[in-house]
Amino acid sequence: MNAKLRTRISKILPEEFIRQLIHSRSLAESVQMLAETDFHPVQRIYEQTGDIKMAELELMRKEVEIYLELEDLLEEDVRGFVKTLTERFEIESLKNAIRLWFDAKIRGRSIENAGGYLLRRPIHHSIDLDGIINADTLEGVGDLLEGTPYAGIVREQAARVTEAASLFPLELALDRFLYARLVEAGEQLKPRDREIARRLIGVEIDLQNVGWLIRFKHFYSLDTDQALRHTLPGGLNVSVDLMRESYASERADREMSALVGKRYPELSTLLSTKDQVKSTARLTMIERILEQILALEVKKMLAGYPFTIGIILAYFILKANEIRKIMTVLNAKFYNWPEERILAVI
Amino acid sequence: MIFTEPMQQVVAVVLDHDTDAVTKELLRLGLLHFVRITDVDRDIGPQVEKVTPHVAEAMITEIRRRIEGFFAMVDDRPPSGADLKVEDLQAVDLEETTKILDTLAASVQTIRDRQSACQQEILRLEDIERQLQMFGNLSEVVEARSQYSYLSIQTGSIRKVLVESFEQALGEIPNVKIELGTQDNQALLLLITMKRDEGLTNRILDKFGWTDVHLPREIVGKKDQVQENLRGKLELLKDEQEELKSKVESLIREKRPALEKMWTNLRLNELYARVQSFFSKTSRTVIFSGWLPSGKKPVLAEAIRRVTDGRCYLEWHQPREAEQPASVPVQMSNPKFLSPFQMLVTNYSIPEYGTIDPTPLVAVAFLIMFGLMFGDAGHGAVLLVLGLLGSLLYKGARSGVRNLLHLIAYCGGAAVVAGVLFGSYFGMQWFAPLWFDYHGVVSGHGGGGLVTDVYGILVITIYFGIAVIALGLVLNWINCVVKGRWLHLIFEKGGLIGGWIYAAGVYTARYFVSHDYRQLPGSGFLVYLIGIPVLVLTLKPVLEYSLHKPRKPFTLLMPVDFLMEWIVEILEIFSGYLANTLSFMRVAGLGIAHVSLMIAFFSIAGMLSGPSGGYTIGSYLVLIAGNVLVILLEGLSAGIQSLRLNYYEFFSKYFSGSGRAYAPVTLKKKKE
Repeated sequence: MNAKLRTRISKILPEEFIRQLIHSRSLAESVQMLAETDFHPVQRIYEQTGDIKMAELELMRKEVEIYLELEDLLEEDVRGFVKTLTERFEIESLKNAIRLWFDAKIRGRSIENAGGYLLRRPIHHSIDLDGIINADTLEGVGDLLEGTPYAGIVREQAARVTEAASLFPLELALDRFLYARLVEAGEQLKPRDREIARRLIGVEIDLQNVGWLIRFKHFYSLDTDQALRHTLPGGLNVSVDLMRESYASERADREMSALVGKRYPELSTLLSTKDQVKSTARLTMIERILEQILALEVKKMLAGYPFTIGIILAYFILKANEIRKIMTVLNAKFYNWPEERILAVI
Repeated sequence: MIFTEPMQQVVAVVLDHDTDAVTKELLRLGLLHFVRITDVDRDIGPQVEKVTPHVAEAMITEIRRRIEGFFAMVDDRPPSGADLKVEDLQAVDLEETTKILDTLAASVQTIRDRQSACQQEILRLEDIERQLQMFGNLSEVVEARSQYSYLSIQTGSIRKVLVESFEQALGEIPNVKIELGTQDNQALLLLITMKRDEGLTNRILDKFGWTDVHLPREIVGKKDQVQENLRGKLELLKDEQEELKSKVESLIREKRPALEKMWTNLRLNELYARVQSFFSKTSRTVIFSGWLPSGKKPVLAEAIRRVTDGRCYLEWHQPREAEQPASVPVQMSNPKFLSPFQMLVTNYSIPEYGTIDPTPLVAVAFLIMFGLMFGDAGHGAVLLVLGLLGSLLYKGARSGVRNLLHLIAYCGGAAVVAGVLFGSYFGMQWFAPLWFDYHGVVSGHGGGGLVTDVYGILVITIYFGIAVIALGLVLNWINCVVKGRWLHLIFEKGGLIGGWIYAAGVYTARYFVSHDYRQLPGSGFLVYLIGIPVLVLTLKPVLEYSLHKPRKPFTLLMPVDFLMEWIVEILEIFSGYLANTLSFMRVAGLGIAHVSLMIAFFSIAGMLSGPSGGYTIGSYLVLIAGNVLVILLEGLSAGIQSLRLNYYEFFSKYFSGSGRAYAPVTLKKKKE
C-alpha cells in the first residue's frame, strides 16, 4: 500500500509541467498535453465530447474510485478515517445538487443541463440527486435524504436558508459536520497516526476557517462575533484571537509572523509582502501561508516514518491539489484568461 | 567491449565566417558530445563570449512540441529522426509558423466547441430521460407536470400535413415528440421540451396552429415510445460527436505533410541552434570543444579541415588531462546482440569512464541465473517464441520495448538449455536429463544423478554465488589497477584483503561442512587465513588519515575512531559476504518453487482423471492453466531475481556507476 501510494505520489505532475500547461496556446492543446499523464481520461473525454466539465467529472469519478479502493485495502482502524475522507465527495455532490435545486426553485433560474455534471456514483449512501433537484421544498430534500446523516442537517437549516435566501448556512453546516466527523474519526486512530491526522486536519480547518472569513468579509459583511461563531474548532495554527484580530483590524500580522517565524521559518519570505493594508488582503495572505504550511506538513510526512497514515493523507492532499491546479488551468484556458491571471490564481 | 570505449577531447578554433559550414558538418557527423569551452579552460572565460544563435533553441523547441501535440491528437508520431538531412535546413520563420499553428488550433477548437454544443444537447436529453424514468408511465408525468421545474410536457394536435415541417422547426430545441394517433386530418402529439425553451416552443406551436388536447391516460401512457425516441436522438447526437471527432483527425491528417515539413525544419534548426549554443567566439574566431570516441578522431579532423579549407586549429586531449575526470562521457561499445543486457546495465547506471563495462558478464550471469530458476525446456520455448514473435510484430517500437522482447527470447533460450540439462519439458520428462533430474530431486525420488536431494541444489547455487562474487572481486581489482586506486585495491571491502578474508571464509566453511559440521581448520591455519588480513585491516583508517588532504589535526580520540572503524569494517566484511553468498540460495528457491508448482498442477490434474485413470478434459484444462500460470508468474519472478542478484550481489563488488552517457548532438536521434 505504502509503495503503491508513493508511486502515485511520484507521478504527481511537477510545477514545470503546470507552467507548460499554462503556457500552451489553446484549450485543445493544453488538454492534449495531458494525454501522456495520469490525467489521460481528461484528454480522452474532451476529445470525445469537447466538454471540459465532462472531463472534470470523469476525473472526480476516478478519484472517488481510488478512495474507495483504498478503503477496501486498509486495516479497520484507518479505514474508518479514510471513509470519512471519502464522504467529502458525497457531501460535495449533495451540495451541488442542492445548489441546482436552489437556483431552479428559489431563484427561478434555468439550470439547463447542469444535472448532467453531477457525480452520480453512489459513495456511502444512496442519494437521489434528481429527486433533490426537483423537490418542491428543502424539507422535501430532507425527506429524500432520509436514512443518511444529512437529512437532519438539511431539515434543521431549512428555515435559515429560507430566511437568509442563501444556501450558505446549509453549506456551512454540512462542512462543519464533515470536519467534526473527521476529527472524531482521527481520534479513533493509533497514537502515532492520531497525531499526524490532528496536524493535517488542523491545517485544513485553519484553511477552511480563513476561507470562510474571507467570504464573510467580502460577501456577507458579518460583524466579527457573527463571523467567528461560524468557524470550526480544532485548527492547528490559527487561533480564535488571530482570526478575530485579522478579521477586525486593518493591520494585525504580529501573531502570524510569530507563528511562521517559530514553526515554519521556511515561509518567512511570504511575510515580507508589503501589500497588507486591508484586512481582506491580510486574510488572503494568511490563506496563502496556510497553503504553504499544508505543503510543508505533507513534505514532513513523506520524509518521516513511512508506515503511518501520513502517506495516505499526503497522497490525498497532493492529489487534490494537483487536480485543483489542472482543472483551474483548463477552465481558465476555456475562458481565454491570460497567463499572468492564471498564474495568480494558481 | 570489456572496457568503456576510449575517448578523446577536441578543442577547435575556426574562423567566424566558417561557423555555418562547421555547424552543419558537425550536425551531419553527429559525433561530438559538446562541452563548453569555459568548462575546459576556466581562464579563457573573460576572453570569449557566447555565440548567440539566430533563433533561440527554446523557442524552436516549444513550437516543435506544439506540432507534436497536433500529431498526438491523431495518435501519430513525429517523422522519424532518421529522415533528417542537414541539406533540408532552411531559415525558420517562427512568427509565420506560429500563425499557421494558431489557425490550425482555432479550427480544432471550433470543432471541439461544436462537440461541446452536441454534448449539451445530449445532457439535456439525458435529463429528460432521467426525469421520465422516475415515473411508471407518461400519464403520470403529464399529471405530475407541476413538479417539473424544467420539463414542459404538452399534449395537443396540429394538421397532419404539417407534422414534418413542425419537426424541422423544432430541430434546434431539445425535444421528444411522439405521435399518439390521428383524428380527422389532425395529428395528436405528445411534446416534451425544456421549460427554458418555452418561449421559442410556444412561438413554433402558435405558428403551426397547435391546439391543446387533454388525452385519456391509456393513450398517453406509452413511455417506451418516448424512450425509444429519446434513445434515437441520443444516438444521432453521439454519432455527430464521433463525426466531429474524426473531423479533427481528418483536419490534422490533411495538414500532416505541411506539419511534417515544418517539424523537420524546426528540428533541424533546433539541433543547429543547440550545436551553436556550445560555441564561444572572439572577434574573428569561433571556439568549441567536445568528446568523441578515439577511433572517430580522423573522421572529425578531416571533415573540419575540409569545410574550413584547412583554416582551423585542432587540439586533442586525452581523458587523463581533463580537469574533471568524471566529466568524460562514456560510450559502451557492445555488439548489437548484447543490447538487451546493456539496457540492464544502463538502467542501473552508466559505468565510470575507463572501467569495466559489465555488459557481456551480465549477459552470461543473468542467463545462467534465469536458466537455473526457470529450467524447463517447454516453458523456455514458449518464452523464446513469444520474444521472437514480439520482436517481429513490434519492429518499429521504441528501443526499450525491442530490447525487452529480445531479453525475453534470450531468457527463453536459457531456460530451454537448462530444461534439457534437467530433463524437464512442460513439467514432464520427455528425454533423460543431461545433468540431473530436478523434478525427481524435488519430489524425493530422483537419485542416481550428480545431485540427489534439494541440499545438493542449494550447494550448486551457493558455489555459483561464490563464483559470481569472486568474479566481481577480480573485476574490482582490475578497475582499481586501471584507475590507480591502490589503497582501495588493498584495503577496500572488495579489495585484496577483503578477497583474502572471503576466500578464507569459503575454505573454512567448506572444511567445516566436509567434517560433518564438527571440525574447523587448525588454529595456525586460521591465524594465517583470517587473523593476518584482519590485523592488516587496522592500517586502513590510519593510512586513510595520513593520505587525506587536507589532513585533519590529530586528536587523542582518533585512535578510538580508528579502532571503531576497524571493528565496523570487519563486521561488515564478515556479515556482508556471508549474506551476499547465501543470497544466491534464492536461485535454488525459485527453481524448487517452479518444479513444486508443476508437481502440484499434475497432482490436481490427476485428481480430475477419469475412472480408467486417464486424463479428462478437466485435467488438461488444469495442466494448460497451470503451465500458463507458471510461465507468467515464475518467468516474472526469475527475471526479477536474476536482475536483483546482478545489481546487488555482483555490481556492488566492482561497479562504479558514476559515468555520464556519451550523448552527441546528432540527426539520428528520434525524439527527445
